[in-house]
Amino acid sequence: MKRQGPIILAFAIGMLMLIQFFTPAAFFKEAYNTILDWKQVVLGFTFILGTWSLIRYHYIKINRKRENWQYSYVTLAGLAITVLAALIWKTAEGPYPWLFNNVQVPMQSTMFSLLAFFVASASYRAFRARTFHATLLLIAGALVMLGRVPIGSYLSGSIFGVKISLVAISDWVLNVPNAAAKRGIMIGVGLGMTATAIKIILGIEQTYLGKTD
Amino acid sequence: MAFYDRMMSIDRRIIFLSVGLAVAIPIIVPLGFPVQISEETMNFYREMAALKPGDIILLSFDYEGDVMAELNPMAVAVLKHAFSRGIKVIAITTYAGGTGIAERLLTEAANRYGKTYGVDYVFLGYNPDWSGTMLRLGESFKATYPTDQYGKSVYEIPIMKNVETYRDIALVVSISGSALSEYWAIWAGGRYGARVISGNTAIQAILIYPYYKAGQIPGFLGGLKGAAEYEKLINAPGMGIRGMDAQSVAHALMLAFILVGNVGYFLFRRAKRREQK
Amino acid sequence: MLLTTAFMLLSLTTHLPCAVTPALIEVNDTPNDWGNSLTVRWKPPLPPDSIIRYEVWRAHHGVSPVEITTFTDSSSFAEVMTHAGWVRAGMNRANDTLFVDSHLSKDTSYVYRLATYAPKMIILSNQSQPLRPERQYLDRSHTNILIATILFIAAVVTFVERARRGASLFIRRIAGLEAIEEAVGRATEMGRPILYVPGLEAMDEVATVAAIDILGQVAKKAGEYGTRLLVPNRDPIVMAVAQQVVRESFSAVGKPHMFRSQDVFYVTFSQFGFAAAVAGLMMREKPATNFFMGRFYAESLVLAETGNATGAIQIAGTDADAQLPFFISACDYTLIGEELYAGSVYLSRQPLLLGALKAQDYAKAIIIGAAIGVVLLYLVRPEIAEMIRKAFG
Repeated sequence: MKRQGPIILAFAIGMLMLIQFFTPAAFFKEAYNTILDWKQVVLGFTFILGTWSLIRYHYIKINRKRENWQYSYVTLAGLAITVLAALIWKTAEGPYPWLFNNVQVPMQSTMFSLLAFFVASASYRAFRARTFHATLLLIAGALVMLGRVPIGSYLSGSIFGVKISLVAISDWVLNVPNAAAKRGIMIGVGLGMTATAIKIILGIEQTYLGKTD
Repeated sequence: MAFYDRMMSIDRRIIFLSVGLAVAIPIIVPLGFPVQISEETMNFYREMAALKPGDIILLSFDYEGDVMAELNPMAVAVLKHAFSRGIKVIAITTYAGGTGIAERLLTEAANRYGKTYGVDYVFLGYNPDWSGTMLRLGESFKATYPTDQYGKSVYEIPIMKNVETYRDIALVVSISGSALSEYWAIWAGGRYGARVISGNTAIQAILIYPYYKAGQIPGFLGGLKGAAEYEKLINAPGMGIRGMDAQSVAHALMLAFILVGNVGYFLFRRAKRREQK
Repeated sequence: MLLTTAFMLLSLTTHLPCAVTPALIEVNDTPNDWGNSLTVRWKPPLPPDSIIRYEVWRAHHGVSPVEITTFTDSSSFAEVMTHAGWVRAGMNRANDTLFVDSHLSKDTSYVYRLATYAPKMIILSNQSQPLRPERQYLDRSHTNILIATILFIAAVVTFVERARRGASLFIRRIAGLEAIEEAVGRATEMGRPILYVPGLEAMDEVATVAAIDILGQVAKKAGEYGTRLLVPNRDPIVMAVAQQVVRESFSAVGKPHMFRSQDVFYVTFSQFGFAAAVAGLMMREKPATNFFMGRFYAESLVLAETGNATGAIQIAGTDADAQLPFFISACDYTLIGEELYAGSVYLSRQPLLLGALKAQDYAKAIIIGAAIGVVLLYLVRPEIAEMIRKAFG
């Protein structure tokens, strides 16, 4: 029953969500809205679970003096200060927005900006004309990179009377081969999603319950 | 180590330093490259320009601090365009970290254009379940957000008076650094018939093309380039246009590194062939 | 009635505007609803530039008639209408000529009139024919999806049944999944842990379900070899499920003592906060093998490049197509889209799951066939292709 209960529940809720899509019946509409409301509430509670896991992880690290355990104090202090700032002074003014704008935002932006460096090093390593396909990828990549920035319009012009626009070529690459390939992947992904959803509703797929065999 | 080997294995620290300089210098010393308007930005602009004073847009801040540099210029430009034309804005965020950003940008834009909170714009805040939020808004805005960000009942907020579902919203604008714009198009657009346009990071913009070609997202801003083009169209130059010089130089530098790597590779292959002979 | 006449007289001025044609309104049942709304459409009685707004007025069938069609004062107009038993159903902007009146009863007949507000005058339309909302049990706009869903469910059930009866179903070789054993073995030889990141999305994302499926198989291998497995999470529910899966997998291979709940942990909900923490973990713990399975966004390259710098063998799998180039350039093996979904089936070879995978393949073949067929039809007989598009659109 420990496992059958959730499977029956998943089947019932899954069928309800499926049927409501095809009927305007008031009962299904109300049930659908109630489930969406509940989903929001449940998700709110998951943050408690996450916070508990975070505290436990760092408590154990400090307690057992694992490597770099001192930094766990920084994490726990950061958590406590942010929560207290929001509880005492609320979120609209006081130290909370200050912490957000001057600590969290710069740290997150810094992490995101690393992408520029990593993209450069990864593309330098990966874009080698080793095979015909790799050469094709290299040419397409170079054209898109140039066509997506203003410098691309400087490099456009006429060759033997034929007007060549890097911006137009870049747009074509993105709009035609890129969009076509993405659609192919998206159709596959869409079918995979539907199949997985059906497997969960029918109880064929049970990994989300922790079952591994 | 042979010369071609060096060309093929440049230390990543040299690459990192060069990229850092290529981005920083043009921001300090602007080069003023011209901005050419792309079709998708023009269509985004057309969607916004077609709105009439009094129309209401739903502006969703689907991002947080990390992608602010790329997406804030878009959100700022959308707010400028909307407020300068008397278009009302209902703002939400699907990220906890988006709350601070949305509050700041809305307040700055409202102060600049003399807009009143509750009448010309409202911020409904953050809901932890983005998918549920998108679907629930199609049934009832007021049930999804019973209060605004500051705890005031939406029934007491004038701008919300006649807003029940997406039907009462002229346009949904999703500014996103993730796949959320696609979900807005699928759920708010596909399921509830809302008209959705988006502003996306350059990486995510590639994914928007199939939706754009199918008309599910009739216009979008792709990365900083899209922001710069839109700023040019609404005649409000900002961080988008300033960032384009840096992006141009950085792209050129990356291509230079790729070229060096490939020249090294050709020299290496030639040397190898000669050895075999 | 006397009061109504008085209000009417009050509302008229001595200088009546020139005659205008009232708007023609058309009321229909709203399709695909539960009998609780009617749709009102109209043609603008004046050029759009000279219209301020519209008001839609509703009454029960049998209401007292309002004969006057032109007013100059909005408050007396509203009083006349209210006294006659009319209710203002809603307002529309000048450019909007459609109004859906909701929250109606299917047992009542309704009539409508439209008030067009122009500068200095209000023009009232004629009364619409009485109409009662009708109830529909099936949303016909979703018929195409309903047919496709039924066919797809039937295909899944059929193939699952065939697999259950022992039919042999072929599944092609997937290099990234073949390499799992080798990757886990390498970590064991080097005495370093394995890192498994189950994406950034929640449990309702199919990519996450697939990532958790594969995690179960990886955990079994790690358990067999006695190698430590680290699973950082961005979503608390995914963390709870991952803990359960790793615990069961270790138990299944007879190593329950190997499970440590602090090795399957929550980091942060922040996207780049998570990327920073995982990158830091890679630099400190130097895992010999990194798995990135599930839904990833822009942080994919930060993770994969850091792993590349630490010299780990890396296997990635995602259905986020924008991230595929990054994983392909920085990882040793990459599972593309559906290969990720097929991962657990491939590794476990469970006949039931294999059956569903087969159904997916056939559905894809039908879609490809239909796409090619429609393209050819557009070239040969575009009018028929257009008919099909409209029928399914």
